[in-house]
Amino acid sequence: MFRAVLPRATPRSALRHAGPRAIPNNFATSMIFIGQSKRGFASEAGDHDLVIIGGGVAGYVAAIKAGQEGLKTACIEKRGKLGGTCLNVGCIPSKSLLNNSHLYHQVLHDTKKRGIEVGDVKLNLTQMMKAKDTSVDGLTKGIEFLLKKNGVDYVKGAGSFVDANTIKVALNEGGEQTLRAKNIIIATGSEATGFPGLNIDEKRIITSTGALALTEVPKKMTVIGGGIIGLEMASVWSRLGAEVTVVEFLGQIGGPGMDAEIAKQAQKILGKQGIKFKTGTKVVSGDDSGSTISLNIEAAKGGKEEVLDADVVLVAIGRRPYTEGLNLEQVGIEKDDRGRLVIDQEYRTKLPHIRVVGDCTFGPMLAHKAEEEAVAAIEYIKTGYGHVNYAAIPSVMYTHPEVAWVGQNEAEIKASGVKYRVGSFPFSANSRAKTNLDTEGVVKFIADAETDRVLGVHIIGPGAGEMIAEATLAIEYGASSEDIARTCHAHPTLSEAFKEAAMATYSKPIHF
Amino acid sequence: MRATSILSGTARTPLIRFVGKRSVPKSIDHSPRVHPASPTGSLPDSFATYRAKAQQHGPLGRSSFNSTVGGTAGAALGPVKPQAGEFFDRAELPSRFGRLPWTQAEIDAIETGGASMFA
Repeated sequence: MFRAVLPRATPRSALRHAGPRAIPNNFATSMIFIGQSKRGFASEAGDHDLVIIGGGVAGYVAAIKAGQEGLKTACIEKRGKLGGTCLNVGCIPSKSLLNNSHLYHQVLHDTKKRGIEVGDVKLNLTQMMKAKDTSVDGLTKGIEFLLKKNGVDYVKGAGSFVDANTIKVALNEGGEQTLRAKNIIIATGSEATGFPGLNIDEKRIITSTGALALTEVPKKMTVIGGGIIGLEMASVWSRLGAEVTVVEFLGQIGGPGMDAEIAKQAQKILGKQGIKFKTGTKVVSGDDSGSTISLNIEAAKGGKEEVLDADVVLVAIGRRPYTEGLNLEQVGIEKDDRGRLVIDQEYRTKLPHIRVVGDCTFGPMLAHKAEEEAVAAIEYIKTGYGHVNYAAIPSVMYTHPEVAWVGQNEAEIKASGVKYRVGSFPFSANSRAKTNLDTEGVVKFIADAETDRVLGVHIIGPGAGEMIAEATLAIEYGASSEDIARTCHAHPTLSEAFKEAAMATYSKPIHF
Repeated sequence: MRATSILSGTARTPLIRFVGKRSVPKSIDHSPRVHPASPTGSLPDSFATYRAKAQQHGPLGRSSFNSTVGGTAGAALGPVKPQAGEFFDRAELPSRFGRLPWTQAEIDAIETGGASMFA
């Protein structure tokens, strides 16, 4: 009589595990029981439909989505905490320090003209770090809860391939576990690239990980690499009192993708805040044997050598895929010349049931790109169809003011030969920015001259990271600058600058 | 009047369009192609050669689907319904179609009128 509500295909194992107490005592609970026992593809009780190696942003998002889709899923993570680089030593802790150091800097230097008299302002770095750790802990535990909620088996340990369907996990608590799966996703992320000749100890010669955990404010800090990570960390420690010099090999800061005009403005504004820049400059060698670290630098094109002394050197020259210890050779998964795992359009490796998402494969190393790929990969497994638009992935630098962009920059469009129009609007002409006494920056649109379709949007200014979402949506849906210009934006908001820049692109702005 | 005619003649058509409810396309080509973010814009030959020879729950190559066991859809083989006068014994079917054994808990529940579940 109790089995009448269970389908004949209900796995015996499910019934076996249920035990007498789990026998449903009414129809409603029976239906819940059926729902929980529904699984995707795995046939044997011990097998998983999907095993994900890596519990970072790509891995845990894939795990949650897979759980939601009814796949029997396991997620392997060796850090002991979910969230990967982003949550533990990347995006999240850096945003905590950026926000709080900005507040500290503002209280120190930007209150008088606002009519606020403050007394003795002191930095409590230990408490600032504690606030960061609290945010990180809360978020990582939240993810663990989400995995549990979606029925994902969370395995703490380091996974490696035994064969194409078997993963051996060296458990963090000791011992081994073997997982078999019909589908495997590799989402092992990336690590900071070192600098030849400099030994990273995360105390004096540091990567972004060390830069988030310094115990005191260094007197002098040199940052090798003027990309987003380097500039965010330079901002934090400069605001807290360090004398920061950024050495960048290229002629402009911000890394590839940032529009040259915006990068120039960013360098000017950050320079005014006290950060020194040496662009078009390369680090030739370094010496950390003394009480300070000395770096020999010279012009990238060659020239006179110069020596930079610093208490702390931050190496922020980029990140590389992290696939160590996976035993990929065992299954023959290929890497390209930069260590990225080679995949096709459905994130499949040569072995179609093994997919790769996130930093350890192609595309920009961004958490939100990894999330998109994770969802798409699960959709490919479940429905055979997924969607990621690589032309509409925003980039944000969380300095103050923030810098954000999506789509192509002016140099790229010029090189492609497409005829385009540019429209811009400065925050100095925006009412809300004026009332906030925060008017540095500009919104810049680039649209196709013929169709008016938006090709790229580049913003430097307050709240640029939030504002870029509107531009991303516009690009995703193929909007024209006139579409945006004719859309009502609330007054007084910073977003009016966005609308006015769109107006400036197809016609003329009202307030400038 | 003139203003109205000018306006009606130049009615603006937004470039942005409502694409409708998203749905999975009916026909999808799953053959491996280059990833849109691939820096080289090419896929190693190994992808095609692996699929040509690999077996994973049946052959992966499209061409080999027709000639081997499992290459034809079950529906194409005709109905499995027994003909008149023909009967299947449950015991002849794979075990997954067999009756599940009663557990002692279920037997107890029936015999006690459900009281054992609350004992």
